[in-house]
Amino acid sequence: MAVPKLEQLSKSVVQGPSLATGAIPTKDWMDVEAVFKPGNYAYPAKVEKVEYLNSQKGLHFPNAREWNPEDDDWKLPEDWKDIILKGLKDRLDKFRSLKIFMDCCVRCGACADKCHFFLGTGDPKNMPVLRAELLRSVYRNDFTIGGKILGKMAGGREMTVGVLKEWFMYSYQCTECRRCSVFCPYGIDTAEVTMMLRELLHLVGVGINWILEPASNSNRTGNHMGLQPHTFKDNVDFLADDIENLTGVKINHSFNRKGAEVLFITPSADVFAEPGLYTAMGYLLLFEHIGLDYTWSTYASEGGNFGLFTNNELMKKLNGKMYAEAKRLGVKYIIGGECGHMWRVVHQYMDTMNGPADFLEVPKSSITGTTFNNAASTKMVHISEFTADLIKNGKLKLDKSRNAHVKATFHDSCNTARAMGLMDEPRYILDHVVDNWVEMPENTIREQTFCCGSGTGLNTDEIMELRMRSGLPRANAVKHVIDKHDVNTLSCVCAIDRATLTSLMNYWNPGCNVCGVSELVGNALVMDGENRQELDEGLRTLV
Amino acid sequence: MKLDEAFRNHREKIVDRWVDYTLSTYESSSFFKKETDKFANPIGGNTREALNALFGLLAKNADPLEFVAPLEQIMRIRAIQEFMPSVAVGPIHAVKHITREILEKDKERRHLVQDLYDFEFAVDLAVLAAFDLYMQCRERLYQVRIKEIKTGSYILTDSKCPSKLTNLLKTDIQQSV
Repeated sequence: MAVPKLEQLSKSVVQGPSLATGAIPTKDWMDVEAVFKPGNYAYPAKVEKVEYLNSQKGLHFPNAREWNPEDDDWKLPEDWKDIILKGLKDRLDKFRSLKIFMDCCVRCGACADKCHFFLGTGDPKNMPVLRAELLRSVYRNDFTIGGKILGKMAGGREMTVGVLKEWFMYSYQCTECRRCSVFCPYGIDTAEVTMMLRELLHLVGVGINWILEPASNSNRTGNHMGLQPHTFKDNVDFLADDIENLTGVKINHSFNRKGAEVLFITPSADVFAEPGLYTAMGYLLLFEHIGLDYTWSTYASEGGNFGLFTNNELMKKLNGKMYAEAKRLGVKYIIGGECGHMWRVVHQYMDTMNGPADFLEVPKSSITGTTFNNAASTKMVHISEFTADLIKNGKLKLDKSRNAHVKATFHDSCNTARAMGLMDEPRYILDHVVDNWVEMPENTIREQTFCCGSGTGLNTDEIMELRMRSGLPRANAVKHVIDKHDVNTLSCVCAIDRATLTSLMNYWNPGCNVCGVSELVGNALVMDGENRQELDEGLRTLV
Repeated sequence: MKLDEAFRNHREKIVDRWVDYTLSTYESSSFFKKETDKFANPIGGNTREALNALFGLLAKNADPLEFVAPLEQIMRIRAIQEFMPSVAVGPIHAVKHITREILEKDKERRHLVQDLYDFEFAVDLAVLAAFDLYMQCRERLYQVRIKEIKTGSYILTDSKCPSKLTNLLKTDIQQSV
């Protein structure tokens, strides 16, 4: 009997276009085209959203049109190539960092295996070095002497429609999480390369709806959801009613109150969608507990800044709105809720875009007297910093047993961990509000944390498979602590995480809840005058 | 018992080749094959762990129900990657051929090839179970998508403004009163 060879098995099962050829690649990476099919791309932006953004002062989103990534013809403007090359030139002149990142990579490969998209797909173009090479090759071809003379031999390549399609494919398979940058010996910020790719694509009307619609909503009503002021207020009031039903404590909160000491800004998902709602209840309880003089705003009703995922003008505008509102209300400083990219924008870009915010005061907690000198310029304090300071000064009455149902682990959100260094404060809080919490493996936390897989506006359901792939490294580490320590709760300090990790757990680790750290604080707080029901599941208990 | 001994002696070699074959289905697989830290390399680490466990079960003719845990570990990953179903499941089958080839090259144990029927039947059962698990994972993926849509994040993009919806609801209620 002849023994079938493994090669035959490979052949018999590989019959169509697939990554799984089992063969050594026979083509140079430059010659492998991006193929778009349902599930591997996010839907293009709706025409009216792009037109609306383009009509706004200071914003530039031209060439709105209907187009489909699966079509050969993307209906690009006739002079699309000139637009892209001029756009690249403008940015190279404007952003010194981009010029350096284009020039200084030595292709050492230290970043190659650090990207969650590469680790979940095995697609070489998801290696950060190669993703950046998609732009760098065009830069070499048109902006360096070597590339102009030697072309492909010097790693250059001409800008073609095929290259543009590759840019769209891979700049939306990067969550700008910056894990790769941690390992780069030159400190190249690959996230900024992705940001530039996306900016250039917007110049020729190529963008995705899940980013541009929330961004236009933020510009229009102040938040991603498009909630108008009365609806935003109703939602927060509703949460306050829920708290009163659960704990017997009446929450005294206010909106748009001039002269308040503090303006509180959080992602709108916290007041609108599960499981963020419980985190928002935690904020309300905390501020009530300490009697903070604060106000919500129905105009600056969004912390998240989807401008970061589009271009620098929109990022600046959406960030500026928070500070304009702080100025209008005359507050002393801002406290920001559990958000990811809001903090990246505040910590890394705000100062040079809209800052320094000299009309505000350096944040000083009126409860503990602590001055937050780390926020001396931006005047914005993270809720975890603020809470940890309260705990350290003994200002909170906490009962850990109220979190007895929780065995937690902590996911460092990319932006807060890597872009602002907030790593110990949430852990300090967890130490004081839950009996049981454990760390995930060392190379998956703190500055080496793995992304949820759906950041930078990729949290859309049409690419669910892609999200599950890119979230694999995170889910894999969570599974380890579930198996080893019976963890049942994945805590975090980011609204996108709360939404995306929920789906990620539902696929990889069903039964594992996702919550904000402030939810666990809210669960543990012992409030004056409370008449608390039996809350077996904390603020999530249905009564 | 001699076949047991052959499995024991060649286990590492068989599993290594099986893992290598399975990971070769990825376009850029050298890192997946090389890195041994399961957290730095989830695809490679889980594939190795699962196939090693599965081989132990296949070799001792274990209850097919026991195949489920290691198979799930590997199929949950392959079900959401860009493989056709046959390619996702196919590598499970490969252990048959790898084992035959390795035994045939061992002069002392070459005659044991004819005793492989039970082992190969167990592999067949594992392949069938892998296909069931593949489908379960696809099903779960769709459920996750539906659940996300139902919990409201779709409101961001695919519906009218929530404020408008709330107003419409209020109007409906007023009209019904």
